[in-house]
Amino acid sequence: MSNRNKSLIVLAIAGVFGLLPLGLDDYRLHVLVICLNYAILAASWNLVAGYTGQVSFAHAAFAGVGAYTSGMLAVHLGFNPWLGIVIGTAVAGLAGFLIGVLCLRMGGIYLSLTTLGFSQILHIVITNEYEITRGTMGLQVPALMSVYSKTAYFYIMLAALIVTLLIIHRIIYSNTGLNFRAVQNDETAAAALGVNVVRVRVMAFTVSSALAGMAGGLFGHYLLLITPQIPSLDQQFLVLAMTVIGGMGSFIGPVIGAFMLNILAEYIRAYGEYHVLVFGLVALLMARFFPHGVVGLFKGKR
Amino acid sequence: MFPLAVTNGLVMGVIYALAALGVSLVVGIMRVINFAHGELFILAGYFSYLFAITLGWHFLPAMIMAVLLVFCLGLLIESTLIRPTYGHEMYSLILTFILSIVLQNAYLLIFGPYPQKPPAWISGSTHVLGLFYYGNQRLAALLAGTLIIAAVFSVLKFTWFGKILRAASQDREMAQFNGVNTTRLNMLSFGLGCALAGTAGVILAPVFPVTPSAGVHVALTAFVIVVLGGMGSMWGCVIGGLILGLVENLGAAFVSTGYKHIFGFMILILVLLIRPAGLFGRKEI
Repeated sequence: MSNRNKSLIVLAIAGVFGLLPLGLDDYRLHVLVICLNYAILAASWNLVAGYTGQVSFAHAAFAGVGAYTSGMLAVHLGFNPWLGIVIGTAVAGLAGFLIGVLCLRMGGIYLSLTTLGFSQILHIVITNEYEITRGTMGLQVPALMSVYSKTAYFYIMLAALIVTLLIIHRIIYSNTGLNFRAVQNDETAAAALGVNVVRVRVMAFTVSSALAGMAGGLFGHYLLLITPQIPSLDQQFLVLAMTVIGGMGSFIGPVIGAFMLNILAEYIRAYGEYHVLVFGLVALLMARFFPHGVVGLFKGKR
Repeated sequence: MFPLAVTNGLVMGVIYALAALGVSLVVGIMRVINFAHGELFILAGYFSYLFAITLGWHFLPAMIMAVLLVFCLGLLIESTLIRPTYGHEMYSLILTFILSIVLQNAYLLIFGPYPQKPPAWISGSTHVLGLFYYGNQRLAALLAGTLIIAAVFSVLKFTWFGKILRAASQDREMAQFNGVNTTRLNMLSFGLGCALAGTAGVILAPVFPVTPSAGVHVALTAFVIVVLGGMGSMWGCVIGGLILGLVENLGAAFVSTGYKHIFGFMILILVLLIRPAGLFGRKEI
């Protein structure tokens, strides 16, 4: 596909999305906002898992770091939520950087174990520090604008997703991105050719964590209630399942996965809370038999 | 209070060590970490509950049957999910993580969110060293755990099968040249790893009732122990398990109960900072 065609398609999609809120009621708009939020999370998780081959289990935890940082600054110190989200993004990025430096020189398994531990710890700290975080009751936070409007949140989330995709696109189609894939394909060969394997991994992990923090901050100020559910392993699983089902290692796959699963979840909800189990089984089958996800299925047929 | 916390630490330490041995065995032979380890631990607890309470069996055959079933499930998981991922470390991580979430949600659906408790083996309590009263069931768990660990070590040390396991974990290719069927060995060691998780599960279940998500903490602790002891080191598991059990319970007694589960994570950070290969680890895993 030529660049011109590509940009036309992107424009068309952006146009459709830009006009969407006009014809939708509040419920459908809410589902779309959630889709967009998960799309940011899945796309940024994919940057680490799909392009550098490291599995982080703390992506939801970093979203929680962003949400709680911004929320607590707003509630306890009266910060403007916008400023809070920026700080939350930075804090999540910093946490990702520290964990990355600590684990990544030892290789992939260590990152997976440490991030799994980190997300459990964050959960424990949030539930225990009841006075500051309001524990499982949830922290009530102010909205991003003075008059609450779902349409406005839709555009904010859409802008955030576009920024995320631009950053990721920029990275994976640059020299750095080439390094990412070299590291994923053959670590030793990449190192031999002068790629600083550890630095490449830490950088990808830091960017991805910061983006998760931003998504978490925005989501918290959209729901107006931040609970320990945001940094839970269930959320982490949903992000992972969306990426795996949509297509890990493809640019647009995670976004497609996020929309598919969230919309599907709304239909399954009518029969009870089975969506996590259903997604788990589907993701298991996909990861086992179609490791390139839905996107890979289409590419394979062409 | 101190001797009581130490005894609690020893009981938990032995259980942790048992669970970590299962992880370590699989890491040593296959270079795979099974993120569903904790869910298999819980599954064995549920099975022993089902056989003993619902079907009314004696607790001993119920426990043996539970471990056997988990062993078979382990063989099944290896042959269907793990085997196609050899050489792609990341896929086995993702697959077993998804599996753990699927199992947790399946337990929730089947057994409900309520804690389930298999019957105790013995009742009453003992006056330990004239210091405090301690539940007999916990002492029995300590004894059973120690015996099983001793059994695992003697199998590794004295049997032909143990020799094969040690050979394959030291040098896989060399073992293959000497006629070891490594595919079969992988399947068997994965099953045994799961069975060890199950053994820990049936021993601990009468003390701490099982809930659908109770396995997460046990698995996480087992992973920390494996890193602390050194990936693939069996002695590291025993020492690491006892350290974790003691640190957790002393910390809960003297620092904070709410943060009981955080101490293990701090140990993990310290190990990664100071000695990433672990206490008994080789540089390469």
